[in-house]
Formats: sequence, C-alpha cells, structure tokens
Amino acid sequence: MPRGPAAGEAGGGPRASGFAGPDPLMQAYLLRRAAQAIVTLVGMSVLVFVILRVLPGDPAKMLLPEGAPQSAVDELNRQLGLKEPLHVQYAIFLRSVFRGDFGQSFQYRAPALQVVRERLPATLQLTFCAMMLTVVAGVTIGIVAAVRRGTRYDYAGTILAVLGQSLPNFWLGIMLVLLFGVTLRWLPTSGFENWTYLVLPSITLAAYPTALVARLTRSSMLEILSRDFIRTGRAKGLAERAVILRHALRNATIPVLTVIGLQIGALLGGAVITESVFAWPGMGKLVVDAIYFRDFPVVQTVLILSATIFVLINLLVDALYTVVDPRIRYR
Amino acid sequence: MNWKASIDSEPFTTHIAREEPAMDYTTPDHSKSLNVTRRQILAGAGAAIAAAGIRPGPAAAQARKGEIVAGLSERMLTLDPANHYSISATSVLRHIYDPLVEVTNDSKFVPCLAESWTPVNNTTWRFTLRKGVKFHDGTAFTADSVIYSLKRARDNTKLIKAFVYQDIDDVRKDGDFTVIVSTKRPFGSLPAHLTMLGILPHTAAANEEAFFQKPAGTGPFKFGGWTHGEQITLIANEAYWKPGIPKVEKVVFRFIPELSTRVAALRAGELHVIDRVWPDNVQTLRSTAGVRVLDTPAIEAQRWIFQLAKDPVKDPRVRHAISLAIDRNVIIKDLLLGYARPVVSPIPPGLIGHTNLGQKAYDPEKARQILKDAGYKNLSLDFVLMKDLYPKQLEIVQAVAAMLGDVGITVNIKNLEIATAREARTAGNYDMFFSGWAHMPHDPDWYLGQWFTKAGAEKLTRYSNPKVEELIAEGRVPDPKVRQQKYEEIEKALWEDEPEIWPYYSVAIYAVSEKLQNFQARRDYYVLLYDVGIR
Repeated sequence: MPRGPAAGEAGGGPRASGFAGPDPLMQAYLLRRAAQAIVTLVGMSVLVFVILRVLPGDPAKMLLPEGAPQSAVDELNRQLGLKEPLHVQYAIFLRSVFRGDFGQSFQYRAPALQVVRERLPATLQLTFCAMMLTVVAGVTIGIVAAVRRGTRYDYAGTILAVLGQSLPNFWLGIMLVLLFGVTLRWLPTSGFENWTYLVLPSITLAAYPTALVARLTRSSMLEILSRDFIRTGRAKGLAERAVILRHALRNATIPVLTVIGLQIGALLGGAVITESVFAWPGMGKLVVDAIYFRDFPVVQTVLILSATIFVLINLLVDALYTVVDPRIRYR
Repeated sequence: MNWKASIDSEPFTTHIAREEPAMDYTTPDHSKSLNVTRRQILAGAGAAIAAAGIRPGPAAAQARKGEIVAGLSERMLTLDPANHYSISATSVLRHIYDPLVEVTNDSKFVPCLAESWTPVNNTTWRFTLRKGVKFHDGTAFTADSVIYSLKRARDNTKLIKAFVYQDIDDVRKDGDFTVIVSTKRPFGSLPAHLTMLGILPHTAAANEEAFFQKPAGTGPFKFGGWTHGEQITLIANEAYWKPGIPKVEKVVFRFIPELSTRVAALRAGELHVIDRVWPDNVQTLRSTAGVRVLDTPAIEAQRWIFQLAKDPVKDPRVRHAISLAIDRNVIIKDLLLGYARPVVSPIPPGLIGHTNLGQKAYDPEKARQILKDAGYKNLSLDFVLMKDLYPKQLEIVQAVAAMLGDVGITVNIKNLEIATAREARTAGNYDMFFSGWAHMPHDPDWYLGQWFTKAGAEKLTRYSNPKVEELIAEGRVPDPKVRQQKYEEIEKALWEDEPEIWPYYSVAIYAVSEKLQNFQARRDYYVLLYDVGIR
C-alpha cells in the first residue's frame, strides 16, 4: 500500500512524571509545536517547489498536444511564469500564498485552491470512514485475539490481519466491486453521491491499517495483560470486562494511538489506488495526475494542505495522550 | 472480422443533407458515398426509419425523455473550447457549443452553424451562417460571434489552440450572416479545424472568467454543473435549432480513467456507454447481459518514430532492416486480438490523402542480409515508451524486441513516465519512440506539417526533406483534388524512406447498454449523445 509523505512529525514524545493536576507546561509545549509546524511547512514548501522544477519534463509541453511547435511551448511557459528564475518564482508563490492565492492550475486553468477544495470533502469523508472502521474493527479484533489467545478467535484474527496487510489494495477493490457491485448489485461500483458510495472504498482503504492496528493492539494487550496490576485487579475481584477495558486497554492504547495518527497521514495522501479503482473524486488521484502533468500549483496546494492537516492531527494525538494517560506531561 | 462500424451508424449517415454546391469543395472526391443524391438519402432514411419500426410523423416528434450517463477515459479539464486539444473535452463541449462545421463519422464536413462555405481563393474562405439561432443565454448568433471566437483563438496566446489559428490574417463580416476569413497562407484544413472549435457569444468578451463559470453555447445541451475533471451534467436545450434533438432530458459525463472501473460500472448498469475499451475486455463485456460492444476503425495510426539525426537509425538501410524484421500481423492478431488494421499508407483510410501502397513485408532473412551488407554488427537500440499511454504498448514492444533480436538487434526498452519520455525525445535521447497520431480534425495537414517539416520536427524526429516540405506547402490549398494528389506523392516518399514505422491503424472500441438507441461508434473516439435516445 502506498504511504503518504511523513512530513511534520518531530520530537516531543510523551513523558511520564509523578504528579497530576492542571498543566501550564502544556500550553508552552503546544506553542512550541505550532512554531515547529510552521517551520516544517515552509521547509516542505521549498522542497516541493524545487523538486517539481528540477524534475525532467516541461509543463507547457504536457498541456499542448503532441508535437505543437516549440514557439508555442516557449510562449505558454512564459505565460505560466516558468521563464522566471527559480528564486523569483518562489518569492511570487510565497507572496501569493499569504494572500490565500495558490496560483492557477496549469491543467484546469482555474484557481488551484478551487480545484483542490472541490475534492477535499470526498477525501475527508473517505479518510474519516476508513479511520473509524480501522479503529473499531482493528481494536476489537486485537482485544479479542489477545484475550482469547491461542483459541480459534485468535487464529482467525491473525489470518484476517495477514490478509489485510498482504492483499493488494487494487485487487481487493476490484474484487469487492465485482462481488457487491456487478454480481449482487447491492452497492454502487464507483463515484460519490451518498453514503452507499462510501462502503466499498472505505473497506478497501481500511484493510491495511485495520490489520496493522489489530496486530498492534493484540501484542500491546498481551504485554499489559501479563503485568502485575492486572493480576491485582483480578485478585481484588474486578469484573473481567472492567479489567480488560478500563485497565488493560487504556494502557495498551498509547502505541495504537501513535500508529493511528500516522496512518491518517498515509490515508490522506495514500488513497491514490483506492481512488482510482472507485473513481473517487479525492485529492490522492488529483495530486498524482498533477505530478504526471507537471501541474505545479495543484501539487503545491495539495501537499501544503495535507501536510497542514497531518501536522494538526499529530498535534491532536499528542494532546490525546494526556487524556488517555493523565500521568503524561509535556515539557 | 471486427471492422464493421456499428449498425447504428447507418441511419446517421443519412442525415447528411447536402444542399449547397460549394460543399463539393469541402469533401475529398475519393469517397464514393458522397455522390449520393438527395433522393437516395431520403430513401435510405426511410428504410432506416422503417427498419427501426418508428412511424414518421407525430411519433417522430415525441417528447425527449430519460437520462444518459457516459464514462469517459480521459478527464475533461476545461469548459473553454479554445483551451484544450483533448478528445474527451471536444466530445463533451460539442454538446454545449456548436461549431461552424460538423464532421460525420466518415470524415465528411457538413453544415452546422455555417450553412455553407466556399474558398474565394487559396487564402480566403467565405462562410454563410445559419439564421435564427440563439445562445442559451438569449444572445443571437451572428457574424460577431464568429469573429469573436476566431480572433480570440488566434490572439489569446494563453489558449492551447492559439498556435493552430496563427495563420489567420483577418476575420470580417459581410452583413450579419456572412463571414470572410483571410489567411496568411493557404489554409485548406480550416473547415476541418473549425469542427473542433465551439462558437462563443461575442458578449462573453466582457468577462470571460465569469462566462466560463456558466458557459452558454448554441448547442443541443445547456451546461448544468460540474466538478473539475470529475463529472459534468448537461440539460437538454428545448429550443435547439435542429428539430428532434436532443433525444434525452439530461446527460451526465463521468471521467473515469481506470478501465476496470469503467467496465464494472457499465456492467453494473450505472453507465450507459464507455469509451476506450481494450481488446482484452471485449470477451467479458460481450458475455454480460444487456451490454453491446461496438468497434470501428479509428482515424489513428500508431507510429514508431526514429531519431533521424542519430546513428545507426539515421541510415535508411537500418530502418529498412528493422521494418522488414517486424511481423506486424502477429502484433495485430495475437497481441491486439484482431482489434487493429494493417497499414497501407501513413494516412488512415477515410481521410483525404489516403492511398493504398500495399502492406510492408515481413522478411527477417532479408533484414539480416541488409544489415550484413551494410556492415552492421551487434546493433543496440533504445526504444522509449510513454508509460501506460497506448493499449498493450509494453507487450507489443517486448514482442518487437524479440523480433529484432532475431535479426541481431538488441532493444533496450525504456518505459518512462510521459513527461520524462517527451523530454528524452526533445533531447534526442532515443532511437525509436512509441507514438501515435489520431488525425484530429479528420485532416492530415497537421500531422504532415508537424512531423515532416524541418521546423516542426526539429525537436522531435529531426526529419528534414525539402522536397516533402514543398509538397506539404502545396497541399495546403483548399482544392481537394490538389490535396489528394500532393499527399499521395508525400506518402510514396515516406513509404520509401521509412522515417517512422506505422505498425497498425487503431480500432476504437466502445461498450454500450442495450438501452441506448442510435449510438454511433465514432472513428475519432468522440462520444456524441445529442442524437442518442434511451429506452
């Protein structure tokens, strides 16, 4: 499965300390992280800007039909502002971005932000559904497998996890479409109109991260379940349900939360194949096409936007650690 | 086996009404079907109507109903008819905007917004316009709309089509319904090019950006709404000037580049028509209830170009040997499953200039001998492909590599991302390059002028032949007889010299729902639905 760019996440892991209560350090920490995020985003924008322009290939040539005269290619490149020196182009770009103008898409001849914004809802909905599915299914399978370790539930969970991680997205998507769309006609095969259109792509997209989360939850749970405090809990007569959900799961959640945060990034940028199979009007396919066609403004817009979302989500995950485990404090 | 165009296409050809004598100029005289009389046309139409079981009269004028959803392979990126050279955008925008001239599936140019056109001399065309036509926004269609649309396409160099119209010198009116176009040099293919250029209301000039937010043409459908590159909705234009058209209330075009997704959606009944089906899918589609597969020879020739300034392929003997070593029939039969046609001249059948020069021979023994006599040993060639662009291209080139290996030539296959491949071609870093040419707009002038003049080919194949260049210039006049003769001469020279290999003419394959009525598999890959009904 393709993985998204892991931009943004840096430093600032959880730390345990001995006291509870309101935390003034948290605010300072978040401010520091926000500053880091801005540096990350600017750095990324420079990188993307330069890499796109260093790539072989000529935007005007990709726009014009095969074999348009060179004079037309040169003229169009001039019109697109690509004849300026690199630093001038970047300065113009940066100035525009601060005005909220991400430039005109070369391909669509429309504001890049408008083209991207049209696809943002579809991307977010698909990511959200796939993530919900991942969390619910992944954590459930993981818990059941850990609690019923060595039983057929465990084996079934393991098989599902191996399948989820090894089946190619493309194949899984097509098989689901053939079964539920073409043969049974229960669900639409492609496009995006209402919630029924979300089902198959969400399952396809969630297969890999669900497997990952299930395996992680299982191993993390197994480790916690063998700890002394679990035995103590059971010894003092707590219901098994309370032991598992309140004590074991809560402690097992930290690594799972981290992985989920990272997976959201992968889903945001990595849904390309799923989007292709289901003709999903999302950003993943848009950005890949934009790279092929050297549509610089669209690539830049998508990457800046998704990097921002990614950085925010990881910030949120960091904040969530303190909710899950009140002992965690930030410095 | 598969060359027959769809049966549906037959009634369509009877729609060609030929009224103006000047029209004879617009049609190459190589085509016999042109010489039909009006009576024959009417008889044909009558037969078609009878065959379809439709009673003429009130029943023919029945109300339009239903909705058609089409899945196109190529994303449409713009609503501006002058700002693309995309086949999919041409198809879709044809429903919103009318051009001056229309082209039929057998490459005949017939009236649309222009009722007739005639060359006044070699550099002047006179167009007589249709009266009483209105744009969707109420503006009347007049000479001003034509002047604006043409001058815009020439003067706004930001537009993708600008380079085609640079030859236009002036566009002026002679009354409200006559336009005179003068050109800097003979521009015989102008009517053909105009088939791809929708006419805009001149009132759009005031604010083009706002206009293209909600564009208005004179076409059979009005713009309903769209998501850039994803889908577009069109609503029937009740007041369309052509009676009985369109046949449905609404058309939706969805853009689905992934072939397996298009196929699945058609089989599931979500789409009524899909384009660009690959030979491999035909069997599955044929066996699906309610689905029909239609195919027709396209106006496209595949071409493997040589870098003509580079050793060893600049040596005509090497090119000749390569040509002899390739078994084109194996490629057509085994790899394309019969969905391609053997080439008999660079310009495909049906277009002006086509002639039959006989198929190229397959003779590996002779190829070996030529290479030996020329003193070549252990030749190694780079064959560059633009990744995923043409059906089965990689398998085909692998087969070619084996065939050339058989005569002692090693082929290095370089399957490059499109932009990178094109860059390699500009830099001249290739020996052979897998390309194709759909002869839009049903005229070979563009192809010849681009690939076989020194200026055009400079950053492509490096082709240069003053004699051919002269013939191309002479072939630009409006007179079809002169054009046919010049093009035949050019093709003979190219056939001899083999500056490129034309391995096969492509076949356009469509799959449609059986509910569609009167759908025509187009040779230019268009998906045109204004004349199509649905049950």
